[in-house]
Amino acid sequence: MARSKGDKIVADEATASDSQARASGEKALGLWGDTWRRLRRNKLAVVGMCIISVFLVVGMATEIANIAGVNLAPYDPNQVDYKLSPTGLGSPPSLTHPFGTDYIGRDIFSRCLVATRISLIVGVIAVAIAVTMGLALGPVSGFYGGAIDAAIMRLADVFFAYPYILFVLLIMTILGPGFVNVFLAIGILSWATYARLVRGQILSIKTMEYVEAARAQGASDLRIIFRHVLPNSMAPIYVSMAMGVGGAIVTEATLSYLGIGIQPPNASWGKMIADYVTYFQAGRWWMLTFPSILLVVTVFGFISFGNGLRDATDPKLKE
Amino acid sequence: MLAYIVRRLFQLIIVLVGVTIITFIIMFAVPGNPARLLAGKDATPAKIALISHNLGLDRPLYVQYYKFVVRLLHGDLGQSYAVRQPVMQMIKQNVGNTAQLAVAAVLIEMLGIPLGVYSALRQYSFWDTALTTSALVIWGIPVFVLGVFLEQFFWVTLPHWVNSWFGTMWTGLPQTPGRNVWLIFPGSWTSVGALVLPAFTLGILEVAYISYMQRAAMLEVIRSDYIRTARAKGLSERKVVLKHGLKNAIIPVMTIAGIDLGALMGGAIVTETVFNRPGLGLMIYNAIGARDLPVVSGGVLFATLVYVVANLIVDIAYAYVDPRIRLGE
Repeated sequence: MARSKGDKIVADEATASDSQARASGEKALGLWGDTWRRLRRNKLAVVGMCIISVFLVVGMATEIANIAGVNLAPYDPNQVDYKLSPTGLGSPPSLTHPFGTDYIGRDIFSRCLVATRISLIVGVIAVAIAVTMGLALGPVSGFYGGAIDAAIMRLADVFFAYPYILFVLLIMTILGPGFVNVFLAIGILSWATYARLVRGQILSIKTMEYVEAARAQGASDLRIIFRHVLPNSMAPIYVSMAMGVGGAIVTEATLSYLGIGIQPPNASWGKMIADYVTYFQAGRWWMLTFPSILLVVTVFGFISFGNGLRDATDPKLKE
Repeated sequence: MLAYIVRRLFQLIIVLVGVTIITFIIMFAVPGNPARLLAGKDATPAKIALISHNLGLDRPLYVQYYKFVVRLLHGDLGQSYAVRQPVMQMIKQNVGNTAQLAVAAVLIEMLGIPLGVYSALRQYSFWDTALTTSALVIWGIPVFVLGVFLEQFFWVTLPHWVNSWFGTMWTGLPQTPGRNVWLIFPGSWTSVGALVLPAFTLGILEVAYISYMQRAAMLEVIRSDYIRTARAKGLSERKVVLKHGLKNAIIPVMTIAGIDLGALMGGAIVTETVFNRPGLGLMIYNAIGARDLPVVSGGVLFATLVYVVANLIVDIAYAYVDPRIRLGE
């Protein structure tokens, strides 16, 4: 019996939405079809999706160009040119330099573009590390229970006990600054969120009848976890991932702002903000304003999309 | 209730043991021998060995960990490499400033509660959309970005406007934080001024989050059966909202506020750095720059302890008001 991914929904939810669909004469939608329909109606979530799409396209294009050794930006982001900063205070936005230049004549637009790539990689890889760890430990914990569960969950408690930003700082002090260390630190410290989420989901799902049915058919533990339990517990994980990418971008920016993240001469939104604060206070607004706007808009995209996705997958909010 | 508190206390102890182990491992994993750092650049190997022996660095790991815990229990977090002062003493000097900032910020974030309730009661109205949208936008603003812009506005732009319009000589909000900022009111007015902007920066970000959460909680509650019952028996709308609705919907939000207070006690590091305001966060930040590990790890340990205890108090309060929690497990 071939079933599409969308069909695998929690039993009672399925009957509810099926009967609703029959009553209104609509074609029955799967869980994700329904989610998509509700997501589209949420304007903020749609705006968030557009922002994320632009961010992904720009970030991936710069990354591919970087691997291919091509410079996609109009200028070399680290090219110092004192002619473009005659007074040592940069030059304001112009047609050739849409975002202006900084105090040593580097093109702000090109630097922002390169920083997009940094944010994208940090956000995606950090969340990927955290989710992988969470998806490895959470199901084990929730499915087997007992001593393994207690050990994993107490470890998660310990990770939650630290105020997050301080824990990241502590790890970064030890690892030392740098691009790779930033996403390693953020990723390793965020696993507990996902492990707890998956575990909670699994605890509620493992008593469902279809899991019992699978077991009665002689399915192995691994098969039950990966074929039946995990696909049904993913909705809150996706929500957390969307928010998590936004959070990782903020954390990277914060670390870089504090001087222990991305190191010069590489550009990162947080690093640029830290570097240009003094010039901002001297009235040279463009250096700081553009990276700030990009950072805030990107994070807003992930948060509003995440919130929209949460509302769209929450069975309690169904009309 | 007592059983619940005992169980939570027991968990707290396990968590704290875990925290000391992880912090110890992190400190031990540090590249570079602390003895070499302490001895200075051109120290003889014999001197390094002596300092290393005095610090107990030549003993087995478990002995070192045991000594570390014993010292912690005596409130000894070690000696700063850079300032040559006990870390505990440095924490004591800074904790007051941070506490003041944390309390002020949490008081400001309470504004989110009425905003969230209003949004929920007028769901999909113009003001609801406006509030929710701005909450989502503000929520995503990193602390340092908001701090930098507010600082610029209140300390540079606004005084400039005021002076050019009225021809007065106003220099903006006072920006030099007074050392004596223990008490908000009996202290000098400068210290109040130095508190306003940092607290406002932290507070406004949390207002966004709190109002969003309060809206969600309130929406869930006003759809419940007991609200319908309350309305059906003819209670005034005001009573329905405040007594039956808010009383239930405020619990999760107060939890967030309580945890925030605990987190801000040690976690105001970015705000304190942006505004250069003395406190635990600035102390840790400066220590990171100086690679002063005992201060970093001591500061983090202290902040973690405060955070964990705040969480415990919030949990117990939650269990007290909501019997489902303590009877649940």
